[in-house]
Amino acid sequence: MEIQNRTRIQKRIGIMKTVAWFMILWLVLAYARVQLWKGREMQKLALAQAVKTRTTPAPRGIIFDRNSNKLVDNRRALHLVIQFEDLPRDNRQIEALAAALQADPDQLKRRVAAIRLAAGNRMLVLQDNLDDASVAQAEVLRARFPFLSIEVAPRRVYLGEDLAGHALGYVGEVTPEELLKDPTQFQLGEIIGRTGFEASRNDKLKGVDGQRRILVDYLGREVATYGMQEAKPGRSVYLTLDAGLQTTLKEAFGATQGAGVVLDLRDGGVLALYSSPSYDPNVFLNRLTQEQVKTYWDNPDRPMLNRVTQGRYPPGSTYKLLVALAALEKGIITPATTFTCYGHKSFYGRDFRCDAVHGTLNLVQAIAKSCDIYFYELGARLDVDDIYNTAKKYGLTEATGIDLPHEAVSRIPSREWKRRVKKEKWYAGETISVAIGQGANSLTPIALARFYALIATKGKLLTPHLLYGVRQENSSEIDLFTPPPAKDSGLDPKIWATLDEGLYEVVHSGTAQASALPGVTIAGKTGTSQLTSFVDKSHYAGLAKKLRDNALFAGYAPRENPQIAFAVVAENAGFGASSAAPIARKLCQYWFIDRLKKPLPPPGAKLPDAFRLDPDPGADEAPAR
Amino acid sequence: MRERLRALDTRLLLPMLLLVIMGTLTVYSAGRGTTQSTLWLKQTLWTVMGFLSLAAVAAVNPLRIFRSAFPLYILGILSLVAVLAVGHRIGGAQRWLVVAHMTWQPSELMKWITLLFVTHRLGTRPIQEVTTWDLVGASTLVFFPMLLVLKQPDLGMAISFLPILVLIPLLRGLKARWVLAALLGVSLLGVFSWQKVLKPYQKQRVMTFLDPGADLQGKGYQINQSRIAIGAGGLFGQGFTSGSQTQLNFLPVKTTDFVFSVWAEERGFLGVLLALSLFGAVIMRILDTARVAKTSSETYFCVGAAGIFVLHLFVNVGMVVGLLPNKGIVLPFFSAGGSSTLSYFLGLGVVMAVRYRAKMK
Repeated sequence: MEIQNRTRIQKRIGIMKTVAWFMILWLVLAYARVQLWKGREMQKLALAQAVKTRTTPAPRGIIFDRNSNKLVDNRRALHLVIQFEDLPRDNRQIEALAAALQADPDQLKRRVAAIRLAAGNRMLVLQDNLDDASVAQAEVLRARFPFLSIEVAPRRVYLGEDLAGHALGYVGEVTPEELLKDPTQFQLGEIIGRTGFEASRNDKLKGVDGQRRILVDYLGREVATYGMQEAKPGRSVYLTLDAGLQTTLKEAFGATQGAGVVLDLRDGGVLALYSSPSYDPNVFLNRLTQEQVKTYWDNPDRPMLNRVTQGRYPPGSTYKLLVALAALEKGIITPATTFTCYGHKSFYGRDFRCDAVHGTLNLVQAIAKSCDIYFYELGARLDVDDIYNTAKKYGLTEATGIDLPHEAVSRIPSREWKRRVKKEKWYAGETISVAIGQGANSLTPIALARFYALIATKGKLLTPHLLYGVRQENSSEIDLFTPPPAKDSGLDPKIWATLDEGLYEVVHSGTAQASALPGVTIAGKTGTSQLTSFVDKSHYAGLAKKLRDNALFAGYAPRENPQIAFAVVAENAGFGASSAAPIARKLCQYWFIDRLKKPLPPPGAKLPDAFRLDPDPGADEAPAR
Repeated sequence: MRERLRALDTRLLLPMLLLVIMGTLTVYSAGRGTTQSTLWLKQTLWTVMGFLSLAAVAAVNPLRIFRSAFPLYILGILSLVAVLAVGHRIGGAQRWLVVAHMTWQPSELMKWITLLFVTHRLGTRPIQEVTTWDLVGASTLVFFPMLLVLKQPDLGMAISFLPILVLIPLLRGLKARWVLAALLGVSLLGVFSWQKVLKPYQKQRVMTFLDPGADLQGKGYQINQSRIAIGAGGLFGQGFTSGSQTQLNFLPVKTTDFVFSVWAEERGFLGVLLALSLFGAVIMRILDTARVAKTSSETYFCVGAAGIFVLHLFVNVGMVVGLLPNKGIVLPFFSAGGSSTLSYFLGLGVVMAVRYRAKMK
């Protein structure tokens, strides 16, 4: 059929053309809006989802003892993590993940919420230190939850296990609470020192994390790497500890509870520091099981307490040296002053006893025999504040400043102290007890060791420290740590000579003669005391075993040219002479005799890594992913 | 042979070929590194076959083509019924027939056959004598295959039958009461289908369109990623095979429904302008052909063909940029697919045949 009325149809076709052009124009405008007006914004969105920044955790510094024996090392481990930018927004996904991991959904949600507020872009570690079977499981999980990833990160290995648990401490991940408290200080997933040296010198040990910019596809799988900043490992650190002496100390304690510390008299370096029972820091790298929490934290023996710096013990007779010092400085007695011991004497209407009848003694003899009557006499003539002021002068009333966290301060009673704490006035009779180291006074072993180091050095106030040196970057040179200079406390040399002689006689002819060591002149003081005070004594209430005496021994050696000072406390072990002094003797035996008998390595030979355990020779290889 | 070549309308063929080349390159880029890395080769093969079919049809007298419309229509209806009865299912929809180891989508060709048959019927009497009942009859011929397609279900394809109804305003003009009646009809249909016909996923698509930001990881994900891809293209584009949205697979169904987003990302706004201009040129040439056609049927056919192109262009290109709801509808010359490529070439072959006959006398 030929077309009729063609003009009308043609007009309508013309309108349709116009309509078609307008529709195309509409599309052009829509594209102009998205591509030109919003182009930048869209480009940013495209980049944000395709380009991700991954953090390469820096390994912490390796820790050596003073002779380059490796104490703490790192090895690579695989972790199942969620990268910061991949944290799921949807709570249902977190719940599903928690179910798949058999974890507590609320706890996981809390962790995710805390982490959102944190600075930086590290990661949330869900499972750490995966073994082969767990890696396989993690890969299966990743297929279900594309926001998961498996990352390689260094992991601490404490090679000596429980050898120096309290000195080294351990590391752990920053907790959500810490992140929330100060989001600028830490990063998500950051590993920090939790206690011990790891915590106190965290700044030296931690490295600078590296960063990697990667291209990922829609499932978050890495497609390409571009832009990489290597992680800078933490600095290797050398401790003042001597692994051999530390081992000697640990073995000397065995199952006995207590604390021992040895100081280097040249600079206050800690040669050995052991708190018994000790712990293996490797245990704390994983989340603790219920049973482990019970073993370590809810244990009445308190293995987590560093008894050297946090345990406060009544000093017993080791305190007598301070009382003698106070009396001599006050001019109440001279070295020649004598008192007579009949085995007991009455002061302020109360009978005080001595453990023997010593007869007439001068000060040196009184120290050597640890005669209580002699010191009761001093206590009767001294004011408690005289003893306090002397203690203050010789640094006993302050923290020693050792580079370990949460050091406790020794307690030296004074009138002011009693008024403030007990809301009572001081009775002169109390000074009698204080004079033999009983009563309210309690000392930390580290403070006791520092006081005997002061005697050994004729009055130098040292700062005990564990940091020996830090290895320079990219070099084997070591920057030695300069401890705070020793303060001269102004000890009168004549007074010193008397005290030194007294301490010599203790081991030569007095209470600790059985612990004399042929060839090494040990000077020291025994002590026996009731254990009454810890930082928290509630655990000790009502425990019969705990009622037995603590044994103490503090001193230095060799007398002629002192090199080390030490303090040993053996809890519930009876007399200081019979249980603490032998430990000190073993220390001197090792340090002055056995250590030097070791054959020297041939010149230029590498020193053996005495404590390097190498359970898995392939552990340093990059694990297959 | 020479006659065949002379029958080809270069002013229609040129923009078509340019679009096909652009489309095949885009399919190549989109398929890189995926299971569809050789899809562009297949697409090239289909294009060659399409071109040969077009050349074959273009030289045929349109009267002969229209005469075969009725048997083709019957065949088409039968094939749609066959799809529903024994069709191949992919992802919950039964849209494909397997013939000679290849999957065919009969609805693609049926769209053109329906247009051919309807215009043939309407062209049998002079324009002035076309009654409203004739238009109702024609609409019924459109709705019948459309319902069969809707049953598969394939909403996008069913919608692409609608432009055939553009013939109504062509013949009747756009009177106010017609527009009102159409609006009323559409809204009634809308309410009815929302409650009775639409599947939950289809409702979800509409909801996503109304608020794409509400569910970024779910249904809104596709549109959102597509908009990011298009926007990231900027003025000049990220460069061939260099669009991050495309190459890292953030962009979904990127060889078919979202193929234009790939083009927009890698070629930018300038590329978009070029493609839209070429589509414009194709549509205008088809409408120009409608003007010079010898018979009413031929005019109607060309107008309907233009309508199909406009709809596909507007719905697909508008959908990927978030202008319209996300529904599966392909973009001619760009989206990969054998049945559709072949169908568009055949349809345009008929348009060329119309122009060739008009030119001859």
